[in-house]
Amino acid sequence: MRVSTMLVALLCLALTPALAAAQDPASLRREIEQLQKQLQSVTERLQRLEAQPPAPSAPPPAAAPAPSPGPAAGAPPTAPPSAADLLRPRQPFALYQQRGSGQLLFDMGIAGDFVGNITSGNVERAGGGTFAGQENRFFPREVELSLFGQIDPYASAVVRIEAGEEARGAATGVHLAEAHLTLLTLPYGTQARLGQMRNRFGYSNEVHEHDLPWVDRPNVMRNFFGGEGLQEKGMEVTLVPDLPFYIEALAGIFNGDNETAFGRTSLRHPLATGRLRTFFEFGDEHALQVGMSVASGQTAEKNQSTILGWEGRYKYRPDGWLHPLITLTGEALYSMRKADVGVDQDGDGAIDVIDKRQRNHFGWYTGLEVQPFRRWAGGVRYDWSQYPENPGREWSVEPYLTFWPSEFLRFRVAYKYTDRSPQTRDAFNLNDASARKLDEILFQASFILGAHPAHPF
Amino acid sequence: MLRAFRIALVALAVVGLLAPATPAADKIRVVATIPDLKALTEEVGGKLVDVEALARGNQNAHELEIRPSLMLKLRRADLLIENGLELDSWADVAVQGANNPNIVRGAPGRIDVSRGIQVLEVPSTRVDRSLGDVHPLGNPHYSLDPGMAPIITQNIVDGLGRFAPEHRAEFEKNRQAFLARLDEAMARWTRSLEPIKGARVVVYHPQWIYILTRFGLSQAATLEDRPGIPASPAHLTRVIRQMKDERIKVLIVEPWNDLKLATRVADEAGAKAVVLASMVGGVKGADSYIGAIDHNVNALAQALR
Repeated sequence: MRVSTMLVALLCLALTPALAAAQDPASLRREIEQLQKQLQSVTERLQRLEAQPPAPSAPPPAAAPAPSPGPAAGAPPTAPPSAADLLRPRQPFALYQQRGSGQLLFDMGIAGDFVGNITSGNVERAGGGTFAGQENRFFPREVELSLFGQIDPYASAVVRIEAGEEARGAATGVHLAEAHLTLLTLPYGTQARLGQMRNRFGYSNEVHEHDLPWVDRPNVMRNFFGGEGLQEKGMEVTLVPDLPFYIEALAGIFNGDNETAFGRTSLRHPLATGRLRTFFEFGDEHALQVGMSVASGQTAEKNQSTILGWEGRYKYRPDGWLHPLITLTGEALYSMRKADVGVDQDGDGAIDVIDKRQRNHFGWYTGLEVQPFRRWAGGVRYDWSQYPENPGREWSVEPYLTFWPSEFLRFRVAYKYTDRSPQTRDAFNLNDASARKLDEILFQASFILGAHPAHPF
Repeated sequence: MLRAFRIALVALAVVGLLAPATPAADKIRVVATIPDLKALTEEVGGKLVDVEALARGNQNAHELEIRPSLMLKLRRADLLIENGLELDSWADVAVQGANNPNIVRGAPGRIDVSRGIQVLEVPSTRVDRSLGDVHPLGNPHYSLDPGMAPIITQNIVDGLGRFAPEHRAEFEKNRQAFLARLDEAMARWTRSLEPIKGARVVVYHPQWIYILTRFGLSQAATLEDRPGIPASPAHLTRVIRQMKDERIKVLIVEPWNDLKLATRVADEAGAKAVVLASMVGGVKGADSYIGAIDHNVNALAQALR
């Protein structure tokens, strides 16, 4: 029954043109005349429109195409490349060129950061300068290739590859600085970031070297986390609850690879991190961000290590200014860790037992920057820091001057005086020299090529 | 100390999680990156929308400081309306900090109103930063050309209509009513600027090309050396000489740019520095879309007469 119905339908379809052809010639003539009238009417209307002055609401050069109705609708689809096209050898950006300029599916940029320092020969021999081992040198600290963009509608990714001179006169090393993806469409105001990243611990740790508001990373950050700061592999989840005020809560689990503060390097004993930050605006001109962070894991010696952090950043931007006039930044870190200490119980000069001792140490810095002109800023940073494991402390003061010829180029010069307490005599003393008190001239040249995302507050 | 820290951490987290979320309003919560788009969305959305802008009228829309307060606005948004053409690409950073999946790039709640705009000054040759902070996709400052409003509002209707299809007819009705008012104003603006058609002006930042073209005026030079690059003394001298030679009477300056420098240059050249609203709310009295263009047209007509 069903087969016969289909056969009838197919027959009807096949006969339709034949029936049309067999129409009455008079009726065909009528249709042609009607079409001619319609064409004439459209032609007249077009002539009228062309003769009129441009309508006030039309775009200036030509009538713009009507906007597409939906987000998915865009430029008309082009023919996909054939199998032969895909097999043909092509230049690296051949597909990019096919799509037309500006249609690369992610952004890329390069940031170059060159630093130099001049200090005394004594400090150089002792290896105790701000750029330890690189005293009295000018070198590429960080040349960074950044690739970033959307992976798909649900996630974005960032990859940063860095090159820099890591040791005096050594060949420039290249390494993966960051590579992480962010899941953007999770429910309940959450986002997750996975991969290798600079941890969001306090204000300055997340900032790359070339973006720091000073030539060097603050002493306390270098003492407590090492010269590169806290960079880990793992996962962070942030929560921004739907509240009348801004608060961001963050929790993370990482390997604990940072050798200075942790170093257990295993998810069986992971490094756990957390951060809470909030923000206050006092009118349009005054803004303050405060937060606190925690990182807790184990050292390579299987000792517990916890670092607490507090941060604050205030900006005063007079109404209508393109840049803040005053920026005040401060962070404080408190490190609590157990350390293995050899104990000579019987006084014979030999270590009898290894005792675990608690080492609680503190450090902080504060920086004030004044930018009265768009191209010029000056500031000063004061650092005070103990060492997380060793005795002693240091303080330093660093006035600096920054000049931007343009948004993409920056020069900075600073003078830094550092004073280390006598207990540090067993450190900063290579080659029978000493770097307890040091004067340094630091300078920096940074540039950006290509895309660079906007900076958060 | 660790215990105190833990207590504070837990307390803040509990407050954050348990505090009652903002009650869901009946209105569609829209955030626009710039005030022009806020104003136009309010015209189209009427009472059905609650619109906030990220940038203020007197700010430079190219480089906004990404404050967490912007993320707070975006946290609750149903829709984000952006100018596009890389003017407000900073919005991506704010969106990332807002943890709101409705408005991430590619989501239906993200509306780019540059769709369908006939973009001017699209580079036809190789561009790089030696040309300054150029926009590779073309000049993005189309929103203060009233002739672009029909396209922008059509995009807004489409975006709002996708979110609330049951109100689409009302959005379209509001749009038509607004366009009717705009057409009346357009006739007035055209009459006002007709006598000075063909006049040449100098601009501080090259963001006026759309409105100048619309009314038959032209841009002779920019006070910036190149887009986004502050002027060198040699460039200023060249501009002053050109203004004198060509008897240019007006230097247009944005509310966020250096009015003192513009006034000094204009005085040297025997011209007048005129502050126009680079966005709605940029100057006093420019509080609506039509009001902002009224201000700009009147200021230009007065200064060029």
